Amino acid sequence: MFKKSFTFAFALLIVASMVLAACQPAQTTPTEAPVVEPTAVEQPTAEVVPTEVPTPEVVQTTRKGGWLDEIVFSVVASDSALTQITAGAVDIYANGLSSKDLPAIKDAGVSYSTSSGLYYDILYNPAGPEFTDGRLNPFSNRKIREATNWLFDRDYINQEVYAGGGLAKFFAITTQFPDYADLADVARKLESFYAYNFDKAKEVITAEMEGMGATLVDGKWMYKDAPVTLVYIIRNDSDGTRIPIGEYTAAQFEALGFTVDRQMKKGSEASPIWIGSDPIEGQWHLYTAAWSATVLDRDQSNIFQEMYLDSSAQGIPAFLDNVSDPEFKELGDRLATADFATLQERHDMMARALELSLQDSLQVFLIDGKQFTPYVNGMVATADLAAGIEGAQIYPYTLRFADQEGGTVRWATQDLFAEPWNPIAGSNWAFDQGAIRATQSGDIMYDPYTGLLWPLRIEKADVVVKEGLPVGKTLDWVTLEFAPEITVPADAWIDWDAANQVFVTVGEKNPEGLTALRKTTLTYPADLFETVKWHDGANLSVADFVFGMIMTFDRAKPESAIYDPQAEPQFLPFQENFRGFKIVSTQPLVIEYYSDTYTLDAELNIPLMFPTYTFGEGSWDTMAVANAAEAGGELAYSVDKALEKEIEQTSFIGGPSLEVLAKYLDTAIADKTIPYAPTMSAYLTADEAVARYEALKAWYGEHNNFMVGTGPYFVDQAFLTEKTLTLKHFADYPDLANRWANFGEPKLATVELDGPGQVKIGEEATFDVFVTFKDAPYPAAEIKQVKFLLYNAQGEIVKVAEAVAVEDGQYSVVLDTATTAALEAGSNKLEVAVVPFTVSQPTFMSVEFVTAP
Amino acid sequence: MTQDTQAGVLGVPKKKTTSAFARVARFMGIRAITLFFTVVIGVYTTILIANMGGYVDTIMRNDIRERVNQRVAASTANQNISAETRRQMADELIALEENRLGLNTPFAIRSFRYLTDSLQLDLGRAQNMVSDNGSRTVRNIILERLPATLLLMGTSQLFLFFFSVFIALTLSRSYGSFWDKLVITLSPTSAAPPWFYGIFFILIFAAVFRILPFGGMVDAPVPDNTFDYILNVLKHLILPAGSLIISSLFLSIYNWRTFFLIYSSEDYVDMAKAKGLPSRDIERRYILRPTLPTIITNFALLVIGLWTGAIITETVFLWPGLGRTLYRAIGFFDTPVIVGSTIIYAYLLAVTVFILDFVYVLVDPRVKVGGGK
Repeated sequence: MFKKSFTFAFALLIVASMVLAACQPAQTTPTEAPVVEPTAVEQPTAEVVPTEVPTPEVVQTTRKGGWLDEIVFSVVASDSALTQITAGAVDIYANGLSSKDLPAIKDAGVSYSTSSGLYYDILYNPAGPEFTDGRLNPFSNRKIREATNWLFDRDYINQEVYAGGGLAKFFAITTQFPDYADLADVARKLESFYAYNFDKAKEVITAEMEGMGATLVDGKWMYKDAPVTLVYIIRNDSDGTRIPIGEYTAAQFEALGFTVDRQMKKGSEASPIWIGSDPIEGQWHLYTAAWSATVLDRDQSNIFQEMYLDSSAQGIPAFLDNVSDPEFKELGDRLATADFATLQERHDMMARALELSLQDSLQVFLIDGKQFTPYVNGMVATADLAAGIEGAQIYPYTLRFADQEGGTVRWATQDLFAEPWNPIAGSNWAFDQGAIRATQSGDIMYDPYTGLLWPLRIEKADVVVKEGLPVGKTLDWVTLEFAPEITVPADAWIDWDAANQVFVTVGEKNPEGLTALRKTTLTYPADLFETVKWHDGANLSVADFVFGMIMTFDRAKPESAIYDPQAEPQFLPFQENFRGFKIVSTQPLVIEYYSDTYTLDAELNIPLMFPTYTFGEGSWDTMAVANAAEAGGELAYSVDKALEKEIEQTSFIGGPSLEVLAKYLDTAIADKTIPYAPTMSAYLTADEAVARYEALKAWYGEHNNFMVGTGPYFVDQAFLTEKTLTLKHFADYPDLANRWANFGEPKLATVELDGPGQVKIGEEATFDVFVTFKDAPYPAAEIKQVKFLLYNAQGEIVKVAEAVAVEDGQYSVVLDTATTAALEAGSNKLEVAVVPFTVSQPTFMSVEFVTAP
Repeated sequence: MTQDTQAGVLGVPKKKTTSAFARVARFMGIRAITLFFTVVIGVYTTILIANMGGYVDTIMRNDIRERVNQRVAASTANQNISAETRRQMADELIALEENRLGLNTPFAIRSFRYLTDSLQLDLGRAQNMVSDNGSRTVRNIILERLPATLLLMGTSQLFLFFFSVFIALTLSRSYGSFWDKLVITLSPTSAAPPWFYGIFFILIFAAVFRILPFGGMVDAPVPDNTFDYILNVLKHLILPAGSLIISSLFLSIYNWRTFFLIYSSEDYVDMAKAKGLPSRDIERRYILRPTLPTIITNFALLVIGLWTGAIITETVFLWPGLGRTLYRAIGFFDTPVIVGSTIIYAYLLAVTVFILDFVYVLVDPRVKVGGGK
C-alpha cells in the first residue's frame, strides 16, 4: 500500500514540477526607467548643407561591394531569437522584436537598433447620436471624443504595456518624423494641454452626456432606462499589446460610469464589425486600432484627411460617417492636395490642423510603438529609423563585423520565400524583400536617418519645378530651379503602343503641346556601362533602361501579350500625372522625366529609371524570358493572373517556374530573340542579345535561379523548403565597401542643459546648451535649429524661441528680464529641442528651475 | 465484418446460405458505399466548418477592403491623385481580389464545387497560401511538406509503436517488477504534450549545452553533399522526434502492458502454462495471436495518422511539415488546402478501414467477411 501511495505521489510530483517549471517566467524583467526618446526631423528647407556628411568613422579599404563574404539567411521563431543570439546560433534577428521585448534584449546584453513600430490608438464610431435601435452613442459627440484625451494616461500605458519602449502619442503625425520636429512647439503645447487629467475628462463628459439626455444613476450612465453600454472591440492578436490597452481604457470608461462590453477578437473576427458593418447599426462603439509607418515619411500633409475625414483614402465607414468641423475638413483636404503656396503657409496649416485634430478625435492616438532589432555585439548594422535593418536599403552596404573585412553573418528572420520572387508582382514580404534588397543596386540611396535621397548610380539630378510650387532642397547634389512654364518636348515618350510595340510621343498624343509641373534630368556617369555588371557577368546596358520604360506600360495595355488586369489599377495614378520621358543621350546616359507630381523636397523628386522594378531588379534578358513565358500562357507575374489562368506564378528563385523559364531561355537563344524588337532594336543587336542569354543560361546552370541583379551580394543557393538562403559577395560591384560607412549609426545628438537652479523674477538668466555626439561637439553646420520652450509653474508654454549658437556644440538660451518678470514664483521648466540635419530625430532635454521674487 | 458465432476454433459446421463469392462481393459493395458516404459527409462538414457556414466570405470581403484601401492610401499619398481616381483604383482592386477568391459565386454553390472537386481528387489551387517553392497548386503545397512530416512522424511514431509493444510485452511477463512499477510511475509524464518537452529539450540541448540545433530541418547554409545533408537532417530530427517519443512513451507502454496483461490472464493461457509450454510459445501463440487484430488496427491507424503531422511540435521546432501547413491554412481560411488535406486523410482512412476488414479475416480465424446473418 505504501509503495503504491509513494509511486502515485512521486508521479504527481513529477507532473507538478514540470508544470510549475513551465509556468515560471523565462526571465526576470525589471521595469526600466522612463525613456524620453527624441522625435522627428527637419522640414523641407531652402538651406543647403554639405553633401558629404562629416563622420569620424569611415573605414579605409580597397574592398569592393559588401563587407561580408556571405550572408546566410534562415528562419527563427521570434520567441527564441534572443536565446539563439546569445547562444551563438545566429548573429541577428532582422525582423525585429516589439517594445515589450526591450527589457529582455537589454538583459541579454546584445546590441540592438531602434526603428518605428506599430502605432496604437482608439477609433470611435461617430454615428448617431442614436443608433437605429435607439441606443445612445456618446462618441457621436466630438466633445466627448476630445475629452477622452484627458481620460487616458499615455505614460502609464507606455510604462505598463511597453516597458517604456514606446512614445506617448497624441497626433496622427509620427512622433519621430520631420513634421513633428517642425511643429515641436505647437505639439508640446497641445500635449501639455491634453495631458492626463481624469477629473477634467469626467467634468466634460458628464456635462456632454447630460446634454445628450443621459443620466447618472448610482454611478452608472443610463439612457432611456437602460445602461449606456459601450461595445468595445479589442484585438487579441497581432503583438498582443492591444489587450492591456483595451483593458486599461475600458476600465477608465467604467470609472466614469459607462458599462463596457469587452469583445476580444482577432483581426478576421473584428473587421466584419468595425469595417463591414454600417456604423449607425451600432455593432460597436470603439475599437483598438493600430497603424504602421514603414517609411520615413518627410511629408505627412495628407495624414489629417486620411486619419479623420470623410474624404479619407481608407474608405472605411467609420471615416465616411464622421462629420468634422468644417474648418478642419477644409484644412485637411487642402493639405492632402498640397493646396498651399509656401512652406510657411503649410507650416501654419499643419499647426492648426494638429489642434483641430485633437478636437475631432475620431481617433485618439496613444502610443508610437518601436521595433528593436537585436544583434550580436561587435556587428555593425545600419537601421532605417522607420524601416529598421531588414527594411533599410542601405544595410547590405554597411553590414559587417567591426574591424573586419569578410566573414559570414547568420541572418535570422521570421520567414522566407512566403511567395514567389519576381520583380513585377512577386513577394512583398519584409523578410523576402530584406534578402532581395542585398542583391540589387539602383539609382539612389535612401537616407536611413533623414528620408532624403543620395545618388547611388546616378551622378546628379537637376530638378526644375513650376514657379510658385512649395519645393525646397537640403542637399547640394541636386540642383533646384523654378521656371514659369515647363514644356514637354514633342519627341518625349508619353505612352506605349502595345500592338506595334513602339512608344507614343508627346507630339503624337498631344499635338497641341504639353506642359508639366516638374522636370527632372538624371545624369549617369560616363563609365556606367563599363563599371556596372549584372551578377551573371554581363554589362549593364541602355537596353536595360529602355526595357524598364516599356514595362512601365506594357502589362496595363489590353493589346499586350502580357496584359494583366491587375496592372491597370496601379497604372491609373501614374497615367494621371505622367507627362513623358526622353533619353537625351546614351553616352553618358541622360534621361529627362516630366510629371505633374512633385514633393516638397527636391531630393525626392527623382524618378527611378534604373532597371529596378517594384519588387526587385531585372536585367532585360531575364525579364524578356519571363515575358515570353507569360505570353506563352505558362507563367504569370501576378498571383491574380496565375490563378485566373490556372498557371504558376513566375518565380526567379525556385519552384516549377525555373524549368519553364529555362525552356523559354533556350528558345530565345535559338531564335536570337530581341524583345520588343520595333523599339529595342535601336539599342540592341541580335548577337548582343544572344550573349546576354548565354550569360544568363550559364548563371542558371551554376546557381539554379534567375535572381540576377547588380547589388553587392548575389544569390548563391536557395533551399525553399528548408528555408535557407546563401548570398555571396559580388566582387565586381563597382563601389568601394566603405562608400556608405558614414551611415554606420545615426548621429543622434546628446544634449546637456546647464543653468541656474534659481532665477530671480525680473532678472536675466542664461542657460548653456551642450550638443555632442559621442562626446565630441556636434558641428553647428549639421544642426538645423536649437529651439527652446519655456513652461511656467502651471505647465503652460509661455515662450518659444531659438537658442543662440556660441560655437560648435554649444548654444545659449537667454531669458531676458521681461520673460522672467512674466513668470510667477514657483517651479518652471525649460525644454530644448535640438534638430540636426543629418538625422531626423531631434533630441529633447529639459531642466527645471525655481523663480522667486 | 462480423464474428461468426458458429464457425471458429471449435470447428462446428456452419450453414451455407449463399456462395462465398456473392457474400464477399455484397459485403464489399455495401462497405464501400457506406465508407464513401461517410467520406462525403465528413468532407462536406469540413467545408462548412472551415467556411463557418459561409461567414468566412464576410470576413474575407472586409479583409480585402481593409488591405486594398490601405494599399491605395499608401501608394497615392501626396501624389496629387484625385479622389475619384483613388476610389476607382480601390474599387477595381477590390473587385479583382474578390473575383480571384471566387467571392462573386454564392457559397452554397462553391461548397458543392469544393466537394465534387475534392472527391475527384482535383485539389485545385490555394486561395492565399503558396508552397515553399512558389506554387499555388494544393497538390504541390501538400506534397512538398509530406517528406518532412513522414520523416518526423514516421521516425517517432514507428519507434514509439514497436518499442512500446516490445517493452509492454516484456513487462506483462514480469508483472509487479521494479521496471513494471517504474513505467507505471512515469506514465503520468505523458500528460505533458510533446511541445512541452520540446521547449525543455531546446533549452537544455540547444541553448545550454549547444550540442543540438534550435530547430529547422537542416543547418544554414545547407551541407554540400548528400551524406552530410542526411547526417545534418538526422541531427535536426533528434529533438523533435525525441519530444514526440518521450511525451507518449510511458503511457503507451502502460497501455499495451495492461492490454497484454488481460490476455495473459485468460484461461487458455493458464491452461497452456499448466501444460508446461515454453513461455515464448505461450507469448506467440496464446497472447500475441488473439491480440493481433488490435495491434494491426492500431498500427494501420498510426500509419495514416502520420499524414496529419504534429502542429505545435512542428511549430516549436520550425519543422517544415504538414501540420504547420494545415494550421496556416486554417488561419488563412484557405478552403482548398484544408479540404485537400482532409480528403486525402479521409480516403486513406476509408481505404484502411476497408482493408482492415479483410486483414482481420487473415489473422483471426474466428472472423469471416460478411458472415453472421
